[in-house]
Order: sequence, then structure tokens, then C-alpha cells
Amino acid sequence: MTFTQERTLASKVRADFPILHQTVNGNPLIYFDNAATSQKPKAVLDALMHYYENDNANVHRGVHTLSSRATDAYEGTRDKVAAFIKANSRQEIVFTRNASEAINLVAYAWGLHHLQHGDEILLTVMEHHSNLIPWQMIAQRTGAILKFVELTETQEFDLDQFKALLSDKTKLVAVVHVSNTLGCINPVKEIAELAHRYGAKVLIDACQSVPHLSLDVQSIDCDWLVASGHKMCAPTGIGFLYGKLDLLRSMPPFLGGGEMIADVFLDRATYADLPHKFEAGTPAIAEAIALGAAIDYLSHIGMEAIHTYEQQLTTYLFQQLGQIPEVQTYGPKPNVNGDNRASLASFTTGMIHPHDLSTILDQSGIAIRAGHHCTQPLHRYIGAQSTARASLYFYNTREEIDTFIAVLKEAIDFFGGIFG
Amino acid sequence: MSLGNLRDLYQQVILERYKKPRNRGKTNPIDRYQKGHNPSCGDTIELTLKLSVEGDRIEDVKFEGEGCAIAMASADLMADALRDKTTIEALEMVQRFQAMMRGEAEFPQESRKLNVMQGVAQFPVRIKCANLSWHTLKAAVEQSREAELAGYVSNEAEG
Repeated sequence: MTFTQERTLASKVRADFPILHQTVNGNPLIYFDNAATSQKPKAVLDALMHYYENDNANVHRGVHTLSSRATDAYEGTRDKVAAFIKANSRQEIVFTRNASEAINLVAYAWGLHHLQHGDEILLTVMEHHSNLIPWQMIAQRTGAILKFVELTETQEFDLDQFKALLSDKTKLVAVVHVSNTLGCINPVKEIAELAHRYGAKVLIDACQSVPHLSLDVQSIDCDWLVASGHKMCAPTGIGFLYGKLDLLRSMPPFLGGGEMIADVFLDRATYADLPHKFEAGTPAIAEAIALGAAIDYLSHIGMEAIHTYEQQLTTYLFQQLGQIPEVQTYGPKPNVNGDNRASLASFTTGMIHPHDLSTILDQSGIAIRAGHHCTQPLHRYIGAQSTARASLYFYNTREEIDTFIAVLKEAIDFFGGIFG
Repeated sequence: MSLGNLRDLYQQVILERYKKPRNRGKTNPIDRYQKGHNPSCGDTIELTLKLSVEGDRIEDVKFEGEGCAIAMASADLMADALRDKTTIEALEMVQRFQAMMRGEAEFPQESRKLNVMQGVAQFPVRIKCANLSWHTLKAAVEQSREAELAGYVSNEAEG
């Protein structure tokens, strides 16, 4: 693809995102914090508004027209999610508030019942806190042991160490697909295959991959996969759990309440079939419907097109960052095609603390993340107390990268005058 | 880049103190020791105090830790300003500093150097950076039981 075509993809979609067309501190907004949350296209905002203006009713219980419409739209999203990640059945998709809730669901409805003293849970040092804390809590309660795969020299998943850590004691492997800090893409298919040889279950945190890549849960052959909607153009408050049908069926409910029941007596109840067994209480209906609109929107553009475009942005971003001697990036460097890592760059700039850098960039309308990005153990591991992170999405442009780099250089000069 | 606003925030004194702090280290002896952190960003501070024999006056203040220019300069300036203050005066200064971060107060002549931090009030998300050392000082002076149990104080509630 040529430079002109690259610009065409972003320029084609930018008009769809009302929020991008504003100035911040007197400068056009450059939104480079997409790994934290993505912006929402008009189609998604319209879906929210349309639902509340036309179809608002509770789902699965009313006989009236609005309830039926709401239920159809809500359940329609389940079909869309299933198709989007190539699940075998719509019953394998459980709506949650977010990925954290989905992981907690597995931790409590499976982990608490299946993990025993001395069993091993294999994680990595690059896990987001959401895929670490629930397992710490379950380990404390069951006596299971947490073990961690570390990084290679290029700051990627250490497959050799993973192989060495696997044993008959391994009962669960819970791994992030794409690191929100390092940007490395972990070999989840190989990880699942190896883990299954030892009878271990595999959970994939796909928060940073589902929005950017075409993903196939059957090909990966993971047992569970979690993602959040808000990182893929949908609203906050909606995420999902994918689980293999038999496995989900074997798990007891997580939360009890309305919606998840079949038959209720004063002293006992039977539970609804999948997926409703895991969806206690009135769900985030509008948000789920809007997630469906987001999936339609992304599918219309095409995940391949998104991925290809982002690869080019990644290569360009790292090329430009590489020109600044003070900048140190983390995670693997992009290869020629830029397809070995995500379109984000975590970096430090010597003396400028990431918070100060973020304030300076914000004065120029540029939004980046500064801090530990909910991967505190990883930051300790790589020896950085905090990092700055620029994370891109398909609506970002090379011109935005140019502005970002120019202001970054100015910021280094501003502080450099003092430290020079 | 709109450097104007940034120069209000990053006054020369702040950048100099960040680069060459005067009060890094630990007091000798260590009469009070308190860790503080800012959980949302990971900034940390370890504050040590040397007190008078009677325990009612601060003779020396030192800090260690990692953080942004605002947090580190704030700690360094605080340490200078506290020397030879009574613990009661120190707690009053904590309140005054927090009020200054809300744009509601400034320091009188004798502690005027602290007023270079006033610009932070214009950057609400950075106020907790400036407050970190003062929040930690308060726990150190009060010997808060809660902080003692936790091992550190968090300034998350300070906003």
C-alpha cells in the first residue's frame, strides 16, 4: 500500500468520529491513548440513542413489542460477537461488564472449584492487573501456586521458559494476547497447544487484540477468551467472555439473581441454560446493542484493512521515535512489515518523567498515557518506574505522528535546557 | 506548543530542584519514617524526619523516591521550608499547601519559596503530584496508626 492509500483509510473514517474534530488547549486533538479506550463512531452513538429513543425495555421477560425489539437487538449482538471471533456457537458468548469481570467469572466459577493446593497457574510478567489480581485471590483461597513466564531479550514472551515451566501440575495458563505495554503479540495458538498437552486450561486476555486483529477462537483453541467493548469502538460497561460450550456448561453460576434462573423456589433454584446462566440481573442492554453496532462498523471496514494500516503506522511511529536519541522504547522493534507487534509504543525519555511529558503533550492537544498502564509488575521487571505510551488506532494518521514527534522533541529541548 | 502555560507550571526553580535536589537522602538519626505513594501513577516517596529532643520541633527533613518533576521538586522545597518548624506549624503548613493547590491560599514571606508551586493549581490532574510529599509528611508527624499498619500512605483521596 502506498502512502496515499494509507491516508485514504484514516481520512475515510475520521469523519465517523465526532470527538476527533475538536481542539484541546488550542490545538487539534491528537488521540493516542487508544490502548486505554478507543473513540466511538457515530454509528455506535446512534445505536445507543436509537435504543433509548425507540426500543428501551427490559430483555428476555416482556411479551410486549418493545421488550421483543430490545431482546432481539441484544441477542443480535451475541450472534455478531460469536461471528466476529469465530466461535462455534452463540451460547459460548457471555456478556460481562468488561474483561476484568469476565476473568473474575472464570476465576470464581471455575478456578475456585477446580484448583487445589499445589496446583500451578501459569501467567506472564506482562499481564494487566486484571489478569493477575483475580488469580492471586484464587491462589490465596485454594493454595494454588502462581508461576510466571518472563521475557526474552527482545522483551517478548519466552516460549522456551514457558515449555520448561509446564508440567502435570499446571492446571491453568492465563496469558495476554497482545501486551498493552510491550505491544508484543504472544503465540497464543502454540501456547494453547502446549498447555493442552498437560491437560491445562487456557484463558486468553484479548483486550488489545480483538480491536485490531482478525481473531479465530477455534483456531487458537483456547478454553476461554475475554475482551472489553470499549477498546473496540463500543461503549464502556460491556465486555464478553468466550468459553468452550462444554466447559461453560460444567461451570456453576458466578453471580445469582434475575435473568439467570430456570425455576425458583424459596429454598432453591435451577439455573438457565447458557449463556444466561452467567448473566444475572438486567444487563447493559444499550451498551450491548452498541457493541453490535461497533462490530458491524469494524467488519464493514474489514479487520484485515485495519491491521494492515496499523502495521504501517507502527513502522512509521518507531522509525520516527528511533530518530530521537533520548527515547528508549520497550517491547520488540517492528520488523519490516510491522506485523510482529501492536501499534503502540511505550517509551521513556531520560530525564523527563512520563507525567511531565504527558502534561506537556496535552498542552499541544496530544493525549497519551503516562504511568504503569496497570502493569506494575512488568514495569518493575523492565526497570522502569513508569513509561509514556502512545497507542494508535485506525483513525490515526502519519501527520498526527509527525506532530507528536515534533512536540516530543520540543519537550525534550524544554527540559534538556535545564539538564543539558 | 503553548509554552506560556507550561512555564507557569514548570518554573525554573521547579526544574532546578528536580535536577539537583538539596534534600535527598535520609536524616541522621531517623526519628520518623514514612512512605507515601500515588497508586494511580506509581510515584513513591520515603520521608525521614529528625526531631528535637523534646520531639516537638523538626530539625531536618530528607526524602527519597521516584516521581515526576512536580512531585520531586515539591518534596525538596517542602524539606527546606520545614526545617526548624514545630510539628504544629508543620501541620498548619500542610493545610496551607493543600489550600494553595485549590487556589485558595499562599505562603507568607518566610516560606514564600513554596509559592512557586502555585502554578500547579491550574493543572488539576497534577495536584496530587505536588501534594504527595505533604500528605506523607502529615502521616509522619501524626504517626498515623493506619499508615503504620499499611506501611505507607496513599494520596489517592487527595484528588
